[in-house]
Amino acid sequence: MDFSLSDEQEMIRDMCREFAEEEIKPRAEELDRTGAFPYYIVRKMANLGLLGLPFPEEYGGAGADFLSYCLALEEIGRGDASVGITMEAHTSLGATPFYLFGTEEQKQQYLVPLARGEQLWAFGLTEPNAGSDSAGTETRAVKSNGVWHINGAKNFITNAGTDMTGGVTITAVTGRQSDGHKQITNFIVPQGTPGYLIGNPYHKMGWKASDTRPLSFEDCQVPDANRLGDEGDGFRQFMSILNAGRIAIAALSVGLAQACLDESLKYSRERQQFGRPIAAFQTIQFKLADMATEIELARNMYYKAAWLHMEGRPYTREASMAKLFASETAKRCADQAVQIHGGYGFMDEYPVSRFWRNVKVHEIGEGTSEVQRILIYKNL
Amino acid sequence: MKIVMCVKETPSTTAEKRFGADMRLERRKEDAIINPFDEYSIEEGLRQQEKHGGETIVLSMGPATATDTIRKALAMGADRGVLVSDPALAGSDAVATARVLAAALQKIGFDLVLFGSAAADAYGGIVPSAVAEFLGLPLLSFATKLDEDGTTAKIERQAEVGYNTVETQTPALVSVMKSINEPRYPSMKGIMQSKKKTIDTMSLADLGIESGTVGAGASGEKALSAEKITTQRKGEIYMGNDGAAERVVAFLVEQKVL
Repeated sequence: MDFSLSDEQEMIRDMCREFAEEEIKPRAEELDRTGAFPYYIVRKMANLGLLGLPFPEEYGGAGADFLSYCLALEEIGRGDASVGITMEAHTSLGATPFYLFGTEEQKQQYLVPLARGEQLWAFGLTEPNAGSDSAGTETRAVKSNGVWHINGAKNFITNAGTDMTGGVTITAVTGRQSDGHKQITNFIVPQGTPGYLIGNPYHKMGWKASDTRPLSFEDCQVPDANRLGDEGDGFRQFMSILNAGRIAIAALSVGLAQACLDESLKYSRERQQFGRPIAAFQTIQFKLADMATEIELARNMYYKAAWLHMEGRPYTREASMAKLFASETAKRCADQAVQIHGGYGFMDEYPVSRFWRNVKVHEIGEGTSEVQRILIYKNL
Repeated sequence: MKIVMCVKETPSTTAEKRFGADMRLERRKEDAIINPFDEYSIEEGLRQQEKHGGETIVLSMGPATATDTIRKALAMGADRGVLVSDPALAGSDAVATARVLAAALQKIGFDLVLFGSAAADAYGGIVPSAVAEFLGLPLLSFATKLDEDGTTAKIERQAEVGYNTVETQTPALVSVMKSINEPRYPSMKGIMQSKKKTIDTMSLADLGIESGTVGAGASGEKALSAEKITTQRKGEIYMGNDGAAERVVAFLVEQKVL
């Protein structure tokens, strides 16, 4: 058994740590306050190859492995969760479907500019009445004369409306399977397609600088060439995308948890009460020790899930466990971080209040904690 | 054009410094980074290469594990690395180091050699000029701007008022200041490619240097003691209504702020 990272993995992690420290962290407060999309940072990340990490060079990527991508996400997320989720949604949800299921033509047309970071891409699964319950999907696509007519609505879609966005890949019902279940197919809808309407950004509790919007489709027409994979393959496709995406969200959550510990260590060693730094009190030490221990465990869980994925072994259960535990660890860490900061932790001028608001969605996005538990139980 | 960037592996600036019984800095692998000053010379070398083409080579003297540090410079974009490593080099002072680097540079060949202005461990700042002395070549020191056209190198050096322009024929050596550029981050592709680039290792025998002329024994520079600098900030607090404002004003006048 070998826990060591490769030289490349270490270098990618270290570079991202430095980048987050110098380029992201100093801007995180402003991003949270204004909710403005971080174009400056995202374009820098694009130039450094951070938006196409796990894709081969021939498709414009960096040719790094999946764990390297997760390590990068942890460090970027440690700098700021909004920037982290932008990178994750673009890579795991936006670009990966083209890489896994696209034709060679689709890869050249769509994946290459995404991996190079010239464009962002969104993935539209969630609807007002459907998400993890994909049977509730109401968006329909009907083929007529070789053209698909799409009607319906999507909710909470990340990266859908930035100036850099190239389009969205959506799930739509295209009929019924022989067993009576809805048949789901995925479609590529580029920005500017008539009938594709992008709503205003949501006002959110956290992840404020990430671009999240409702979408609607009113007789939106795309050619059959915009079908991703076979008709009826949509369910299998997004299950596979979400599975790997959960490992990425776990990494992002570990980054947020680590940021909570970083700030708590710093503050508790500076803050003087009763004549000494509060870190000298055992009650604070125990909180810090528990945070560090859980973070270590969560990190190892996502490492292992990523390793299973790279080895081509089954990883659904481990991915869900990692996502569940890492996001709940991050929540506990954010809670304790605010507690350690006392009244100051409740103020916007300390980053832990932002962490506390950001962390909630980690237990919700890409499958709630409850859904993760269902998936874990199913794999026992 | 052949550009050689000399880099040193130093402990992280935030790492706690520990000294051995011989007063030599204990270097721990996990704290090792590229000397932050050298990031500017690496960047400048890469920019010169982007302008004029040619080859960029990273040269370092250090323990065998310093290949990791060279690898980071290769990830930024340099073409290949050379590490001079030999157990007999341990304890070499600035002059002994310069002797070795000069010999390695002669072996590699160059049009331009770039240095950071000093290293963040000892802040000696002697090596660039000592290497120039061993090579009998001009050093353009403390450059804040560098123009090179294949036959001449011209730098700007910050002066008390304005700046000096200094020019020389190449081959030449240049040491650079932090204001010369903003070092790039290694790109993801750069990192992935760095593993495929070559790092040649040279020993003292390869350079034809007698081991007795370098290392601790041949070094005139000796560290006798080391202690932590503690800076004490002294604040003065003027309390109450009785004359505090006047004393603050008097203080500001004394400091020539008002």
